[in-house]
Amino acid sequence: MKNLPIWLDPEPWLNRKFSPTEIQTALGAESPSEETLAALLSPAAVDFLEPMAARAQALTRRHFGRTVQLYVPLYLSSYCPGGCAYCGFASDRNTARHKLSLEQVETELAALEKMGFEEILLLTGERTPEADFDYVRDCVERAARRFHSVNIEMFPMSETEYRELAEAGCSGVTLYQETYHPETYAAMHRWGPKSDFSERLEAPARALAGGQRFAGLGALLGLSDPLFDCLALYRHARHLQKTHWQSGLTISFPRIQREAGDFTPPHPVSNSQLAQIVFAFRIVLPDVPLVLSTRETPALRDGLAGLGINKMSVASKTTVGGYAEEGSEDVSRRSRAKAEGQFDVSDARGVEEFCAMLRSKNLEPVFKNWDAAYR
Amino acid sequence: MNSGIREQESGVRIQETPDTLKLGNVEFKSRLILGTGKFSDTETMIKAIEASGTELVTVALRRFNPKQPNDDLYRPLAQLKNVTLMPNTSGAMNAKEAVRAAQLGRELSGSSFVKVEIHPNPHHLMPDPIETYAAAKELAADGFIVLPYIPADPVLAKKLEDAGCAAVMPLGAAIGSGGGLSTADMLALIIRDSNIPVIVDAGLRSPSEAAAAMEMGCDAVLVNSAIAAAENPVAMARAFALGVETGYAAHEAGLMPRSDIAVATSPLTSFLK
Repeated sequence: MKNLPIWLDPEPWLNRKFSPTEIQTALGAESPSEETLAALLSPAAVDFLEPMAARAQALTRRHFGRTVQLYVPLYLSSYCPGGCAYCGFASDRNTARHKLSLEQVETELAALEKMGFEEILLLTGERTPEADFDYVRDCVERAARRFHSVNIEMFPMSETEYRELAEAGCSGVTLYQETYHPETYAAMHRWGPKSDFSERLEAPARALAGGQRFAGLGALLGLSDPLFDCLALYRHARHLQKTHWQSGLTISFPRIQREAGDFTPPHPVSNSQLAQIVFAFRIVLPDVPLVLSTRETPALRDGLAGLGINKMSVASKTTVGGYAEEGSEDVSRRSRAKAEGQFDVSDARGVEEFCAMLRSKNLEPVFKNWDAAYR
Repeated sequence: MNSGIREQESGVRIQETPDTLKLGNVEFKSRLILGTGKFSDTETMIKAIEASGTELVTVALRRFNPKQPNDDLYRPLAQLKNVTLMPNTSGAMNAKEAVRAAQLGRELSGSSFVKVEIHPNPHHLMPDPIETYAAAKELAADGFIVLPYIPADPVLAKKLEDAGCAAVMPLGAAIGSGGGLSTADMLALIIRDSNIPVIVDAGLRSPSEAAAAMEMGCDAVLVNSAIAAAENPVAMARAFALGVETGYAAHEAGLMPRSDIAVATSPLTSFLK
């Protein structure tokens, strides 16, 4: 894709300069807009990080209360024909490939159910013969028997396929555009089906049209200019809110760290930049759940919980499966996780330890916030 | 609707027990209803409920978790004495889902009360009047004590009364917004013509707003965010109880009529004498 569609293009807000007064105005904006977001992400807003945090906390508390919703990812397969420069599952990486058999899926689901989870996110790479649509549907069906909320983060599908998954019990689709910057997108996604920018961009809308209740959006911070990607991400979300008014959106803030293959992000985002981005999104989208994964360190996750972030993964493994073996954790397993994970988990705390942290911050961990009655 | 003696359209005067809120066949002394989401922990929620003196709380079916006691809102609430549970259908997108959720809620809790809450847009959470009406009608016919959460629409309120609802619960402002009684004019119309209790649900931020709603003639208020998101939820629960009590007492006492016109010393109509 050469030119972004008009509803997505962040160009008009890219080169704005903001005064401290304009930042103040943005902080209290009653009808936030692209302008508000651009102001809050600008260098001038760095001096306002503290009031931004306070506003983000107040809005989070108002809309979501003193709660943090928890979910867990389950990687079903690491087979992938994709050529994503930054990904540990890319087809040119020399990592061993795995896929859970349906029996193994059952075992993993049972282990996660026992850990207390009620919301699960099933993941695969791009579409492969090993992990194709039928396999995914079978896994969704199995998960829906055990969990009230089942979501997927996988290859883009057709509307018909999304509908079939909704009928199988899937409630939501997470699909990050990674970067909204077309040239960077082309450079990062070197080959494979994911090199098609539009196919991926339009998938969340197809998912919602196909009966999925929730769409999770995100940009992989570090790939491109964060201002460009954040503005486009915001515009993508606003567009979907208008075109699919009955849909729920969530926004995640994955940040690229060193993966297998030693990929170095061309636009690294610092901790304080990431915090600024989270606060800014909470202010411009006060009622949209904001998600932070275990890519981030305990210190950062603890700090951002309730400060904009109201939904988090916990006890995640980014290798295929791995939950059922919990307890037999040893050096060889950990080194396998290091070598074969999609990305390194920075927060390895277990469910109990993480919940204790939330409670110490006066936040209630919520496992079940959905019901199978709404399928 | 006022308590005490009131005249119905038919001219029949009916006597109600003074000072109680009657919903279906159940009478409540407290006119404050509490929502149970958004609290930092179960202990705070329970203490807030106790401090509020409420006798009716609503809990979302989606927060029932029989599998994990730590994550279950229902069990600790069910153990409270003198508190009736009202499951709600939050999360339902249409009438079909709400009816299913209501039936599950009744099955799990044994309570026939249901707060019908259908908000197809999960961001602003505005209630869907069309689906709410369909679900309320079906559930009322099925023997539920139905309290629908609705936009402040006087026509819809009367239609829901005719459909057999036990009360109507129009919003003061958007859920969690703290916008107060932004729908006051419409609420006044709903109160004026209703034969069933009118309960302001959603939007209240302060006890003074709860008092104002009661002074207007509301029969009760339902509060969640304003208590759960307050600095001190337990103290705020008590403050809301006082606000509701004050507002109700003021309404019963009869407020002095408001008038912009000074009474002329030489009456304009003296020529008529």
